[in-house]
Amino acid sequence: MLDEKIYVDRRQTINELRAKSEKMTPRERGLKAINHEEADRVPIDNWMVPEIKKRCMTYWGLENEAELLDFLGVDIRDNYGPAYVGLEFKTHPDGTVEDLWGVRRRKVVYGKDTDHQGTFTEVAHSPLEHMKTVEEINAYDRWPSPDWWDYSKVKAEGAAWHPKYFVLNKGDRLDRTAQLKPMMYLRGIQQTFVDLAMNPKIVECIRDHVVNYFVNYNPKVFEASGGEFDMFMMGDDMGGQGGPLIGLEMWRRYFRDGFRKYCDIAHSFGLKVMYHTCGDVYALIPDFIENGLDCLQSLQPQATNMDIKRLKKEFGKDLSFQGAMDIQQVLPLGTPEDVRKMVKYAMDNAKKGGGYIICTSHNIQVDTAIENVAALFEAYHEYGVY
Amino acid sequence: MDTLTKIAQFVEKGQIQEAKEATQKALDVEKIPPMEILNKGLIVGLAAVGEAFSCQKAFVPELMTAGMAMKESLELLRPSFEASDSPPMGTVVIGTVEGDVHDVGKNIVAMMLQGAGFKVHDLGIDIPAAKFVEAVKQHQPEILALSALYTPTRLAMAETLKAMESNGLRTKVKVIIGGAPIDQNFCNLIKADGYAPDAPQAVQMCKKWLA
Repeated sequence: MLDEKIYVDRRQTINELRAKSEKMTPRERGLKAINHEEADRVPIDNWMVPEIKKRCMTYWGLENEAELLDFLGVDIRDNYGPAYVGLEFKTHPDGTVEDLWGVRRRKVVYGKDTDHQGTFTEVAHSPLEHMKTVEEINAYDRWPSPDWWDYSKVKAEGAAWHPKYFVLNKGDRLDRTAQLKPMMYLRGIQQTFVDLAMNPKIVECIRDHVVNYFVNYNPKVFEASGGEFDMFMMGDDMGGQGGPLIGLEMWRRYFRDGFRKYCDIAHSFGLKVMYHTCGDVYALIPDFIENGLDCLQSLQPQATNMDIKRLKKEFGKDLSFQGAMDIQQVLPLGTPEDVRKMVKYAMDNAKKGGGYIICTSHNIQVDTAIENVAALFEAYHEYGVY
Repeated sequence: MDTLTKIAQFVEKGQIQEAKEATQKALDVEKIPPMEILNKGLIVGLAAVGEAFSCQKAFVPELMTAGMAMKESLELLRPSFEASDSPPMGTVVIGTVEGDVHDVGKNIVAMMLQGAGFKVHDLGIDIPAAKFVEAVKQHQPEILALSALYTPTRLAMAETLKAMESNGLRTKVKVIIGGAPIDQNFCNLIKADGYAPDAPQAVQMCKKWLA
């Protein structure tokens, strides 16, 4: 433990900026933003890998994650939905562990013995990969059921953040509402792309199982929340670095209806819909809007066509945005000054009229220096003021 | 339409079975020299889909099935190439670096390099620097191709290059890097020889290096 004075000094800029600008609760701020109105400042969301959270707590002398989010002025609080009470996830002799879908995952360590060591949980076995027919896929015995969850604590967990914070129901990364992603986990990424080009019946079959599950599961979650969610988040990566992974026609053919259903269900419970996708999805955005999307997350500025200035100009009337802070080049490789410039650019071009929640384009990774993380949050509070 | 044009179209559209049948016919019935089938049929088709991909008229499913059509058709030509003793365009050792298990992009690059006439040794995923060193010693490629999807895992590319350096191999291979978080700045930073934003451009770069 360092001398408390050091922490006080490190926290000073953020504390002073916040004291000057904040006149609303985080929830009021978030609601303003998604309703396209200006608040006291631009609301902040936070995505970090656990290793970075720890580094931040050490740097600013904070005890736990709740203290960290509070200090940084993060307005959004995540809700992970009901508790899983289904069959125990089986551990296989090779160390892989099954998930909700029966997909086996394993922990992969990167940057061994360096200052950027970390761990990702990666798909190790896709159970449908070698199946040849729709019948085999239908006979798969591990399609999940909404009955595998205990919904009794959902309301209390949402209420624990209310009325102060803005509550985002986002589910766990592995069971987040999606279509293409579970398909890729179940079938393998490569085989999914081949199916999309060559095996429409298999694509439709897996997609239907996935969509049916979420169409039955989500209303139970929303019902159980008893009005304690402010927004629903789904996530399905449709973009690559240089363009959408699939073309617009293919998206319309396979994924439009499910996307619309997911949005309609959330709307019927009075919830706005946020949608996470990585990459360049510019060509799909008009269809996202037409099918019910309220907030596009998490604008990846290094991807082609995802400049926030242009997106705000072209779609800002109908769509709000979350993201636009670059974790690929600026945060890991840039200077604190580069970080500040990036924040200023996004704020200058996206905060007007509300409709913007600032955040990184994905989790801040272990390759990012604490000085850049500090510069990021200081700049959020400096340039986000209305 | 002549058979070579048909082959090009089947590859471009990712019609794997049709591409193979047309290739077999060109070889067996029409007795077209394999090099001509490759250059005026398969490669033309692959170039067309690559161009469509670069301007967002084709996407990953189309690029992947075209690569597969190319690779499987090429397999039919391989015995003739080996018999005629014509050397491959060059040799490439390729893999996803340590700590990273993503290989869709890397597999497309490997397929397309094979399609373009390179001999490709694909080491797979999560490959430690020492394994790349071993493979470069063994296969003596002109080109080493490294892939990563995440920003922290791309740092293993730098480690791999250091290992090449300390084993006296760095000047013996050209190193091309790729993957979502890779750009020219990162390429300069770790002193790789080149970076390509997508598979078609990776193939072009490798061809240029060996021209």
